[in-house]
Amino acid sequence: MKNNSNLTKKQSVDSSIRVAVSLLDELMNLAGELVLSRNQLLQTINSSDTRNAEAVGQRIDLITSELQEAIMLTRMQSIGNVFSKFPRVVRDLSAKLNKEIDLTIVGQDVELDKTIIEAINDPLTHLIRNSVDHGIETPEQRNKKGKPDRGNIVLKAFHEAGQVVIEISDDGQGIDGNNLVDVALQKDLITADQADSMSEKERINLILMPGFSTAPKVTDVSGRGVGMDVVKTNLDKLGGSIEIKSKVDKGSTISIKLPLTLAIIPCQIVRTGKERYAIPQANLEELLRIPAAQVKKHVECVGDAAVVRLRGNLLPLIKLSDILEIEGTYEDRQTEEQVPDRRKNIADRRSKQSPLIHFKDDESDEVELSPRDQQHRGTGERRYSAASTLNIVVVSTGAMKYGLIVDQLRDSEEIVIKPLGCHLQQCKGYAGATIMGDGQISLILDISNLAKMAGLTSFDDTEHGLAVATAEKENIRNRKNQQALFTFRSSLEENFAVPLNQVERIEKVKSNDVEVMGCKRVMQYRDGSLPLLSIDDVAMVQPLAEQEELLVIVFTIKEHPIGLLATGPVDAVEIAFEIDKTTLKQQGIMGSTIINNQTTMLIDMEELVEVFRPEWMVEEVVTGIEEPGQAEVSL
Amino acid sequence: MAETNEVKDHIELSTFIVGTALCGIDILQIQEINKLMDKTEVPQAPEYVTGILNLRGQIVTIIDLGKKLGLGQTKTSQDSRNIIVSGKGGEHIGLFVKKISDVVTVNPQQIEPAPSNMKGIQGDFFTGVHKSEDKLVGILDVEKILSHADDQ
Repeated sequence: MKNNSNLTKKQSVDSSIRVAVSLLDELMNLAGELVLSRNQLLQTINSSDTRNAEAVGQRIDLITSELQEAIMLTRMQSIGNVFSKFPRVVRDLSAKLNKEIDLTIVGQDVELDKTIIEAINDPLTHLIRNSVDHGIETPEQRNKKGKPDRGNIVLKAFHEAGQVVIEISDDGQGIDGNNLVDVALQKDLITADQADSMSEKERINLILMPGFSTAPKVTDVSGRGVGMDVVKTNLDKLGGSIEIKSKVDKGSTISIKLPLTLAIIPCQIVRTGKERYAIPQANLEELLRIPAAQVKKHVECVGDAAVVRLRGNLLPLIKLSDILEIEGTYEDRQTEEQVPDRRKNIADRRSKQSPLIHFKDDESDEVELSPRDQQHRGTGERRYSAASTLNIVVVSTGAMKYGLIVDQLRDSEEIVIKPLGCHLQQCKGYAGATIMGDGQISLILDISNLAKMAGLTSFDDTEHGLAVATAEKENIRNRKNQQALFTFRSSLEENFAVPLNQVERIEKVKSNDVEVMGCKRVMQYRDGSLPLLSIDDVAMVQPLAEQEELLVIVFTIKEHPIGLLATGPVDAVEIAFEIDKTTLKQQGIMGSTIINNQTTMLIDMEELVEVFRPEWMVEEVVTGIEEPGQAEVSL
Repeated sequence: MAETNEVKDHIELSTFIVGTALCGIDILQIQEINKLMDKTEVPQAPEYVTGILNLRGQIVTIIDLGKKLGLGQTKTSQDSRNIIVSGKGGEHIGLFVKKISDVVTVNPQQIEPAPSNMKGIQGDFFTGVHKSEDKLVGILDVEKILSHADDQ
């Protein structure tokens, strides 16, 4: 890892470490044990006593893990080493600025990896100086605001969810988000439009932008506009994060979250081609698996680039095997062999095309088939078999987010980063390598460099992206004229449809769940009785098919739930249609239309219910008039 | 002091076959020779890097010496070996060769400079030639082989 190598360089400058003698003794002890176990092992191997070998193996296993733990401990240093110099920094600086400040330090004993301790020294110093210089006001100002003369800065370290959190809080003047926005506007760091749409948190986070400074003049303490930005980059390198909370005149709290150690990081293991690769969990957003049958639906082509629509956002897709220029494989379900994957395009050729490029694909459709491909077409449609499932790792680096297509998703593992040799420094796609449990090596992918290698730019900014977005909007507008319909059957032959948005639920029931009470059909539903009707109760259509399994489509009409008995097959379609209001119009049926080449009757639910339960439709004023025999008055 | 005198007296060369040529390097530069073939390929690596190897927890880059010297690709076989040498900064690098041959003791005075008609890539990597009774051993400059500045 690049930052790792920087750290190791730093290590060589200052390469001694203080370790407690008790820990050294423990290490010594463990080393002795290890030697003894080795002797035992050698003996058992010579005597080929298998039962004893097992015991020795266990012993060595135990000692190794204890040894590993103890050695890791020698690298851990208490954060007090860094904290201890801050009282002096605060005292000197406050004297210089004529301020009265108390510094409280909590959690000196929290331990962190040596490399991290070294690397956070500078960022922390900067933050403390910030608090003293910008945070805490002079005693006069504090008096005016009704605060005690002495300001308070609290420096706190503690463990939280496997991470170490360092908090620097002061009771000073806080950060004024609006002020930051004004300065950022002056410096042309943001546009007025951006400024308007920013949340309070985003406003405060402006402070982390490069070149940002609110200090009116440059002093020897502050005002150079490099501070917070450097703090953030340093923390990013360490895999840490920064969060700023602030209230004007109440004070600010800056929390830094750091991993316990850099040496071991959790990674997602994936496979592409013959080898396994590791993706650091820090870059990982989510894992996506698009079944073969849905590739067509979800993956779309924009020009020759594939994108997937993920919760309304377009996510560019990159194939790992393409970037690394290796041959992708898929697992043959029958033979469980790895078979070379000859698909060139991620998207199915029958995928939806963005309207923008529609005119292009007439030619491109045919070109792709090389004779070799055609030979392989013989063995059935693989595109619908499980093998052509797309495995996508959604990764992010900074502002960029993309989907990396891999051949197979494996486990997530804690791995130890090892640097690559100098001959492989030119391979930008890797952040290092690691040794897996089986002794094999796998490479750790550098997500941001992979994006660069694939020539990804932030998709939203490009003109092309803009054009696609406009085309997409157009598409959606067209779709507004369309309506989603839910289709079903009542008898075996006739097709019916209702607008999908009227449907509340669809329940599958057994025909003997339907009870007939007082000449009305009801069903137990959510601790109550749900009145049921079928279309033939009202309209002149064929009677409900007598099947063991029925569907109940639950509607709510005028706040009354009602179930419509129906049979399958059901489907939801989205089409633009015109209703033929004459041919099949009758009571409860508003008309007909053609869906998927089948004449379908559109049901007017309100009309159905009006006939079925006229009292529901009557205004509330007249609800007092009740007819005997109706379900509502059965009690 | 005695040691340095000894080194001047004679050099032990570990010889091996690359392609068809017999080459040698000073045995003191060699860490170990092994036949681990369980390499992990590195896509997009330079052509002469055949992969990386797990050597007792250390990651070792393996260089195909045949390719590096322009003597053709070395095939994995019963006889092929990795010669692990240590490069700059203590990094271990493996040289993948076709076959290991004898260790020969030579007198530094007997080493002749590489013949001037040895041109191109090969000429760059040989520091000299040792003549024994029946064969010639090309002596390789390990530093040069391991340097990666000359990546074409």
